[in-house]
Amino acid sequence: MHVRLLAFASAADAVGAPEQRLEVTGAATVGALRETLAARFPALLPLLPRLAVAVNGEVVGDAAAIADGAEVALLPPVSGG
Amino acid sequence: MESRALARLTDEPIDVGAVAHAVSGPDCGAQVLFVGTVRNRHDGREVARLTYSAYRPLAERRLAVLVDELAAAHGARLAIVHRLGTLEPGEASVVIAVGAPHREAAYAASRECLERLKREVPVWKREHYADGSARWREEEPLVPAAPPTAG
Repeated sequence: MHVRLLAFASAADAVGAPEQRLEVTGAATVGALRETLAARFPALLPLLPRLAVAVNGEVVGDAAAIADGAEVALLPPVSGG
Repeated sequence: MESRALARLTDEPIDVGAVAHAVSGPDCGAQVLFVGTVRNRHDGREVARLTYSAYRPLAERRLAVLVDELAAAHGARLAIVHRLGTLEPGEASVVIAVGAPHREAAYAASRECLERLKREVPVWKREHYADGSARWREEEPLVPAAPPTAG
């Protein structure tokens, strides 16, 4: 299946683009996606422990399911204000 | 207090007076206005400009949650506008206005609003230095969901 992967700030640098279509195989959860991303984009590894993940606009935990076609956003620590 | 919630992102310079006006009213005895501005130095380095970006749909929803929750918790009226894009030193990056019957609630809600914004709203700043280099400022892990206001 595929997801629409959005990435912000340093996460965009690590995955090479602010938006891309990504093929995901295996278990369709946020936790599994983290493993897929770590394998595909080693530059993302140092960021992963502090990276929040949103699925279809809501920040969710690693057990959350990801459906085909979902929008997945990679959200590094924030610095608004 | 009657709500006229203003909570949004903007790509244009912030009209500070308009944000203040959004919380004014005859039931207010105090208005606190916070203006966050771009500083020209950080960690001893000269900052030429900042660029702000956001995950817009989630950021706008969380700004709205902040306004609603803090208004209910403090019996106040709040407005927040956060700037995105390229800012020069001295420009306003965020404006928070609070109107309340008394100053204690207005001061408390203003401070709590900024502290929560820094953890709950997906906005990022990138510092561009006078020497041509740049780096992301990534400070507070984004909280999973806006927690209910304590107390």
